[in-house]
Amino acid sequence: MSEDLDRRHFLARLWTWGLGVMAGAAAWTSWDFLQPVAGQSGGPVATVSPDKIPTDSVLEIPAMRGYLTEIEGATEAIWWKCPHLGCKVPWCETSGQFECPCHGSVYNRKGEYRRGPAPRGMDRFEFTIINGVVVPDTSKIIRGAPAGSPETINEPPKGPECLDPTAG
Amino acid sequence: MSDDKPTQPSNVRVLGFVEGKPLVGDRKVPEEEDSVMVWPHLLIRHGVVALAVMVFVLGISLFFNAPLKEMANPSVTPNPEKAPWYFAALQELLSRFHPLVAGVLVPGAIIVGLLALPFIDRNPDTRMRNRRIAVATFTIFMVAWIILTLIGFAFRGPNWGWVWPWQEWYGEL
Amino acid sequence: MSLMDTIRKSAPGRAIWRTPRRVTDRDRAAAHWGSFLLHIYPVRMRREQISFRWSWFLGVASMVLFGSLIASGIYLMFFYVPSPSTAYGDIIFLQTKVAFGQYIRNIHRWSAHLMVLAVAAHMARMFYRGAYKPPREFNWIVGVVLLVLTLLLSFTGYLLPWDQLAYWAVTIGTSMTEFVPFIGGTVGGMLLGGTEVGAQTLLRFYVLHVAVLPTLLVGIIMIHLWRWRKDSMLDMEVASE
Repeated sequence: MSEDLDRRHFLARLWTWGLGVMAGAAAWTSWDFLQPVAGQSGGPVATVSPDKIPTDSVLEIPAMRGYLTEIEGATEAIWWKCPHLGCKVPWCETSGQFECPCHGSVYNRKGEYRRGPAPRGMDRFEFTIINGVVVPDTSKIIRGAPAGSPETINEPPKGPECLDPTAG
Repeated sequence: MSDDKPTQPSNVRVLGFVEGKPLVGDRKVPEEEDSVMVWPHLLIRHGVVALAVMVFVLGISLFFNAPLKEMANPSVTPNPEKAPWYFAALQELLSRFHPLVAGVLVPGAIIVGLLALPFIDRNPDTRMRNRRIAVATFTIFMVAWIILTLIGFAFRGPNWGWVWPWQEWYGEL
Repeated sequence: MSLMDTIRKSAPGRAIWRTPRRVTDRDRAAAHWGSFLLHIYPVRMRREQISFRWSWFLGVASMVLFGSLIASGIYLMFFYVPSPSTAYGDIIFLQTKVAFGQYIRNIHRWSAHLMVLAVAAHMARMFYRGAYKPPREFNWIVGVVLLVLTLLLSFTGYLLPWDQLAYWAVTIGTSMTEFVPFIGGTVGGMLLGGTEVGAQTLLRFYVLHVAVLPTLLVGIIMIHLWRWRKDSMLDMEVASE
């Protein structure tokens, strides 16, 4: 009698485990299946020669979803997506800084956090120079420094901001 | 009521009256707790509601066109950029607090709080006057949420600055 | 004798309805019990619960709007291909070249907004009714899930016209997932199918909007209504004790 019950319980447990394994396999398969497909989340984008990059402003490159700028001889490839909620951050020529109209985050020319609700500075792309052309890889993202980190360049706003709340 | 007294035919002799309910049709005045047949009492109401709702939808669809802006363009963010109206309260919070707080913790807490509500409020009484704390708490949260939604929907303009909706209208549906 | 009575008393009518007589409450109860369309309703309900001030009929209004969304949504699907190169043009074509195309789109859009409103108002009304208290705790939870599903349905549909309104609202909405600890980045990537709103995102949102979420919603509505019927009948037992 007790042997019978033991076998019955053993089989019941086996079925439960079997179902659990199948559910796990289904979850694992679905999870991997729905990951972004490689090649559809960015890649190398050929842009311009480094000597065409301005040293006091930025150059917008729509194909790479970002801006190129030069700071103390070093090229920076900055992603235009606001690290707050993903709006495109426009460059404000009059103040010489990035100003996001969505929620008012402001960044300096290097994309470093200045103020606003964003949690960190703007993200940048890794890039290489191939045949004299800057080639950022939009799938290789360097996250910006957290809000509150000191700015590494000394470029205070040079004029009125585009983000004037009384404008518009 | 007129049929409280039974009518007495003139050509028959009445031996007596038997009091009681008729077999068919119940004529007594119904109480709130009494039950009624769903068919037709509830179904007719649902039918009227369905017709009213559909007339309303089909009516406003005649006069108001669904919005359609320019084609999506990843290199131009409209200013102001508005979320759908039911997320306007969240967007308003997001402009003031860290995204982890406003975008994750607050909505998460609302959903978990609503799910857990039956097990937080253990008072079995359903009469309003016996559950003042629950009603007051819910009302405060609901009114706050409605106000935030209205602000985000109608009172925000370029650069998420304050505008008066009767001066400039930036709400999107 | 009405036409319906004649039909019910014919041989096919008896085969379908099984209860030809509709005279006493007992006949009606038997007919109700035997009807597929009516089986989501209880046979009897307390009088106060079928009044306007009990529920403001917001639940049934939500159901009607959902029906309107299914019907208008099927019409829209005939003219829509979820790809960035075609989606916007399809909407323009629908609005300018298809008879009643703009009208059907209006119905879908306004029904969607009204459904979000009706579901949220239904929840608030049921709170003030105390309808989350025993024996209705579980149905309240099901209702919260339905509210979340309704919001997700509305939000996934918001992207499909592929206009500026859609693109940037969804960019903001999906950016919020990045801040969810641990899994946020991965879940955001799964929603977008990439690093920004693009072709994969449109396709994914379309599949969620026309297949995954409506199926879930219909299934969970069935649980919600079944439980509503059971709980209404439980109320009557309590009342008759």
